[in-house]
Amino acid sequence: MMSIKTPISDEVIEKLHIGDKVLLSGLIYTGRDAVLPRLCDLAVNNRIPDNIKLMGSVIFHTAVSRAGVGPTSSNKLEIEGSMPVLSKYGVKIHLGKGQIDNETVKELERYNSVYAIIPPVTALLNSKTISKEIAGFEDLEMEAMYQLQVVEYPIIIAAAHGESIYGR
Amino acid sequence: MEDKIYETIIEKVSKAVIDAGTTFSEDKKAAYKNSIVNENNPQSRWVMEQILKNEETARREKSPLCDDTGIPHIVLDIGDDMIITPEYIDCIYEGVRRGLELLPGRPMGLLGDDIQRIEQSIGISDKSQDVEPAPIMIRRIKGKTKLHILLLGGGPAIRAKTYRIFHKHSINAVENEIVDWAIEGVSKLGCTPCTLAIGIGRSHYEAASYMIQAMVDGRYDIQSELERNITGRVNESKVGALGLGGNTSVLGTFLKVGPQRASGVRIVSIRPCCCFEPRIATVEL
Repeated sequence: MMSIKTPISDEVIEKLHIGDKVLLSGLIYTGRDAVLPRLCDLAVNNRIPDNIKLMGSVIFHTAVSRAGVGPTSSNKLEIEGSMPVLSKYGVKIHLGKGQIDNETVKELERYNSVYAIIPPVTALLNSKTISKEIAGFEDLEMEAMYQLQVVEYPIIIAAAHGESIYGR
Repeated sequence: MEDKIYETIIEKVSKAVIDAGTTFSEDKKAAYKNSIVNENNPQSRWVMEQILKNEETARREKSPLCDDTGIPHIVLDIGDDMIITPEYIDCIYEGVRRGLELLPGRPMGLLGDDIQRIEQSIGISDKSQDVEPAPIMIRRIKGKTKLHILLLGGGPAIRAKTYRIFHKHSINAVENEIVDWAIEGVSKLGCTPCTLAIGIGRSHYEAASYMIQAMVDGRYDIQSELERNITGRVNESKVGALGLGGNTSVLGTFLKVGPQRASGVRIVSIRPCCCFEPRIATVEL
């Protein structure tokens, strides 16, 4: 099984293919339907705060509560709609669950980004989450953008290089 | 003396909430192990292995199985050994609150009046224990009084359905429609493999209540012919774990049939429970 660490380079993305099981470590961001449209607005207007580094980043589609983290459905309009925009500004892995549209798969290919799914294994993920702190949008409480330090999150590549695991 | 009895009930109920949110039953674990052996899709097999690892971690660390810790549903089986007083009911509610605080549950209790809660317009309580349980369901049983705690997540609630089926005096007609509904729900659920909880009654209330009872009484290692048929037919959809394809879309079906109306209609409630559900614990009071 391949192990990768953030920040994710274009070379690493080239090596990832649908169906690959991967262990992900490093600093990652969280965001779901409330925060991602706001993050997209900031990116498009070149107003991303200095503490948020989108280049080579991973965005995990989850809330962060005292119960832990776990993927929400990535095909919610606001979440899936954020993937092409944020890929353009450097996000390399969009991490969630559920089938995404073929158009989104093509957009990810355009920016050399991938979509990965993560089992909803909250207890296991809690044991692999070293730290968590708010990175932005604090008013959204548990749906705020967090930065997590993680060790070996288990993920599967679901869309890469124009192909989707759901379409084969 | 009474205070000690009350504290004991609160503790038992609190522990049941934590057990429901952090453990699988033995028959559920066996069902997963059996499915892993028989799964031919490597990604789906790996997902199910992660789900079992998650349960081991959750059990060991007393950490929630899923970050959607669910809405508590309480089923009280009143036996021959005790008289349930208002104070006992208060203790059950207090035990649920304590359990949610310790689990810890995801803070999901919405603030405000009717409109504000519907609109989710003035925010969420930051206290895990402010998630109110659903109304208590009461059954009369022989033997000792038992309390069952179920934690019902939001994903299955989105895909659940309670509606009428015209039976045409044929179990096949009812089974066919259940299978169609189940395939639709399972394919959209996301967190598969699922367990189908199904209640059939004379009204929407009754069907939903039998669906809840199916989750309480169902077992993966004791399946009726009808339950096995439904499971087998839905598994032919090849949705697989997390929708990745494979043999295991459904681990089992829990079906409860109540009294039926002398008419052409059956009310069916079906909940495609997620890969962790039914999250349930039972305690003798």
